[in-house]
Amino acid sequence: MILKLRIAAGSLALASLCASAAGQDATLTKEEMAEAIRTDDFSLPTPAELMVALEKQGKLDWSAKFRPPIATNYPSRAQLALNLGSLVADGFVAVQAEDSQQVKNLGKDILQLAKNLGVTKEILMRGSSITDFAENKQWDQLKEELEATQNEVKDSMHMTKDGDLVTLVSVGGWARGVEVISSHIATHYSEASAKILRQPAIVQYLNKKLDALPDKLRDDPKVKNVRTRMIEIEMIVTFPRDKAPAVEDVKKLAGLAKDLVNDIARKDSK
Amino acid sequence: MKRALSLLLLLTGLALAPLRAATDGEVEARRTAMELAGAFGNDGFKLRDGVALGTLEAGKPKLVQVNLYTGNEYWFSLAVDGAGKKVSVSVYDETGKKIDAEPYQDGVTAAAGFSPEASGPYFVKIELVEGASAEFCLLYSYK
Repeated sequence: MILKLRIAAGSLALASLCASAAGQDATLTKEEMAEAIRTDDFSLPTPAELMVALEKQGKLDWSAKFRPPIATNYPSRAQLALNLGSLVADGFVAVQAEDSQQVKNLGKDILQLAKNLGVTKEILMRGSSITDFAENKQWDQLKEELEATQNEVKDSMHMTKDGDLVTLVSVGGWARGVEVISSHIATHYSEASAKILRQPAIVQYLNKKLDALPDKLRDDPKVKNVRTRMIEIEMIVTFPRDKAPAVEDVKKLAGLAKDLVNDIARKDSK
Repeated sequence: MKRALSLLLLLTGLALAPLRAATDGEVEARRTAMELAGAFGNDGFKLRDGVALGTLEAGKPKLVQVNLYTGNEYWFSLAVDGAGKKVSVSVYDETGKKIDAEPYQDGVTAAAGFSPEASGPYFVKIELVEGASAEFCLLYSYK
């Protein structure tokens, strides 16, 4: 089938060129771009996409990016949701490292956090699939399974009128992904790898969603801190398309992301 | 195995559809889009679990924003149900300029593939070129 696609693609390239030559669809207006559809599960890339892009710059030791286990019970649902997202990102790191035991441990923690959020039923099957795929070292399937797990948790949140927590799952996952990638680039700097970190629209999208949270959720101390840090992060990941951030900026980004992820995971005493 | 997994994910996803039941048109569009995207899987492309679903009308294209990373390669796969006859997919950068993507078009399916020169936001334009209003499914794969 791929051959058929290639042949068809080749024969259609000419038609495409003709369309371009006629000047059709050459540019989009600002208004058109502003009205584009944006969704969490399509417009936000998974941590795996970021990791695959970084691997193009050279092999890296993903197991060095593991972090100690985090708690699976937190006093607020906001904090549970933030950590659920970051744990799924940890799952992608473990899959990149091809570490079955780490994947299984994280699968259990993800399940426990989901249970504490009241969404276990929907992802119980996923939990056992993650274990099976990890035991059989089916890494590609595991990436799909992790993403599907996160999406199903988000779907469940929508169904149970916890839709506002979906944003926090996304933020937690994205922040942990940025922490892992930026800390690596900070210590193995090259302009090519630093250019991967350009993600202005993602932060703008997440910040907009954080600003739209209900007051009760927005006033959660962890969420307040997230909003402050995300504004700082936005400034660093917003740079011109043809430039790379300086190594100092990458280090600053790595520090901000690390502080953010650590704060999300920390259980504050009252 | 991957095809079986994809089918399982499709069926599970549909069974757990969050806010409303999937229409027959969506199911058909999704199945067709997954078949198309499955072909890119043979070239090592990983299919994302997330999809964009909705209705396409002739003369009323839709734009979907994605965020891509330089160094990766992407394919965007679109399909509509049988009410549609011909669709197209094109990609634009954040300045609104059309990207010179590798095109594919075959009736109710179309795809566009490219490697972004810069990380950042891009816009996927999907269009019903011929046919009556139809349900669409847009997927993407990367490697």
